[in-house]
Amino acid sequence: MDETVWHESVPCQMKLSKSKSEQAFESIFHEYWNSIQRLLSRMVIDPAEAEDLALETFFRLYKYRPAQHEDFNARGWLYKVATNLGLQSIRSFKRREQYETHAGRETIIEAHEQQPQRIFAENEERNFVRTALGRMNLRQAELLIMRYSGMSYKDIAAALDLSPTSIGPLLLRAEREFEKCYRMLTQEEER
Amino acid sequence: MKNHLNDGQLRAALDGELDFDELKHLESCPECQSRQKMLEAQIRPAVERLRFLSSLTQDSGLSTSSAWNKFNHETLAQKETSMFRKLFASPLIRYGASAALVIALILAFPATRALAGELLSLFRVQRVTVVPVDFTGMEQLDGAVGNNISQLISDSITMKNEPGDPVNAATTDEASQLAGFNVRAPQDITPSRISVMSGASFTFTIDRDKAQALLDEAGRSDLVLPEEVDGADVSVNIPSSVSIAFGTCPEPSSATEAEREMERETTTSGSPGRVYKDCIIFAQIPSPEVSAPASLDINKLAQIGLEFTGMTAEEAAQFTSTVDWTSTLVVPIPKNAASYEQVTVDGVTGTLIERPSDDAPQFALFWIKDGIIYTLGGLGNNSQRALEIANSLP
Repeated sequence: MDETVWHESVPCQMKLSKSKSEQAFESIFHEYWNSIQRLLSRMVIDPAEAEDLALETFFRLYKYRPAQHEDFNARGWLYKVATNLGLQSIRSFKRREQYETHAGRETIIEAHEQQPQRIFAENEERNFVRTALGRMNLRQAELLIMRYSGMSYKDIAAALDLSPTSIGPLLLRAEREFEKCYRMLTQEEER
Repeated sequence: MKNHLNDGQLRAALDGELDFDELKHLESCPECQSRQKMLEAQIRPAVERLRFLSSLTQDSGLSTSSAWNKFNHETLAQKETSMFRKLFASPLIRYGASAALVIALILAFPATRALAGELLSLFRVQRVTVVPVDFTGMEQLDGAVGNNISQLISDSITMKNEPGDPVNAATTDEASQLAGFNVRAPQDITPSRISVMSGASFTFTIDRDKAQALLDEAGRSDLVLPEEVDGADVSVNIPSSVSIAFGTCPEPSSATEAEREMERETTTSGSPGRVYKDCIIFAQIPSPEVSAPASLDINKLAQIGLEFTGMTAEEAAQFTSTVDWTSTLVVPIPKNAASYEQVTVDGVTGTLIERPSDDAPQFALFWIKDGIIYTLGGLGNNSQRALEIANSLP
């Protein structure tokens, strides 16, 4: 390498400064990474899968080029994409229930000394919740996940292209439907 | 407000999302309050079950800074590399590579030299520059649109001389005789193989309407090709080339075999990166000659080409105006999956492109000297060795 002279910097004509779109993306990434990762880690039990889905969510935003869309609602957009990816994952991964049951039992074994009954019940209920959400109508499941992740009616309405006043009635219907699905699941399990 | 609240409004009230007037009614209406309590009890099980979705407990997931690093260095790189490979391992490689060269050379034509429409201009590559392309934005080419583009390029090319199979030469003198130019090789290293590939020539005729239809199909109807490109004939003459292999390298292969090799690389967790890790291939070729109508609006085509790769109009305009397009071969590289540096090599300025990867890192060194284009490339992390070889040329 002694005989090779490296230029200290690339000439300016070969550099592309960070575009407006890239700057906007970076800012959104830093603002929402934690909440999107947390949302997905609630939806899918495998932390590695939650991380992959969160990265995929931001990759889709990267391709969408947020700076090119006026009045872009980053939070609503990200939650909608993340929710759909999470639901797709719940629905498509056929081994999920097996995996999650297995994971639940592993946790039980590990935490045998520490309130195993409570942990078992909590894990089992969460797995039923996930499966019930996966079986529901997509719109209703999206609505429930967004609301229970802490989004306001206004943000949910913007993300799902609905009127804010319609959220209350739709949410109530979704909660009733969820409860039906959940009960059906637990009854199937008991048989 | 006289009307009682409906169930949806009562539900919204539980979330504190009720309008002022409705809230006032609820506060003063025992009947609505009673119904709200019943509704609250009815949905309580669902609320309790779904509550964990809002838990603020921070998991042991990636921190924002680690996630940002991972996104830039792994997610984008993987997606880009995958797209880059799909694009260049497809049938596009056969005609597309030549066409890319043609387009690069078309771009090299200086607009100021535009004379009468009937005049032809002859130009040659004199330097190389790199354009970082976000290949993740070109996923539309991975499917029907890509196949249609491949077909259009194939239909637009009339081959005059097809390139033959590579022929091995025992020495650089023999390679020089076969290739018709003075082949250079470092004197202190023994090559494992010297191959000569005969030249090729073809004409590329632009069908503006078909090309525009494909842009539309790819969702880029915002990019409009100038009418005057229609029917323009671009003739390309690619001279014979020589490749000299050092270390353990794959056999020179036809395009189809090269595709299979690429496919293996993408499906066998980078095995070529391990098998050929000491392989360096030194290739040299006199500049291809291209003639094209001088009336082509090169800046406009450059702008369209760059915007198609995903640059904004402003970025494309910035790039086209700051790069000296005169006689410049433009090499696209994955924006996030590869890096490049200008280096002094063989007494001139060259470009070193590196694609870091855990299993199959790659590098390529380009430079042009006395009308010959040189490239030194390989799998592995041998880029410094490549520079040493280049700088030891006689």
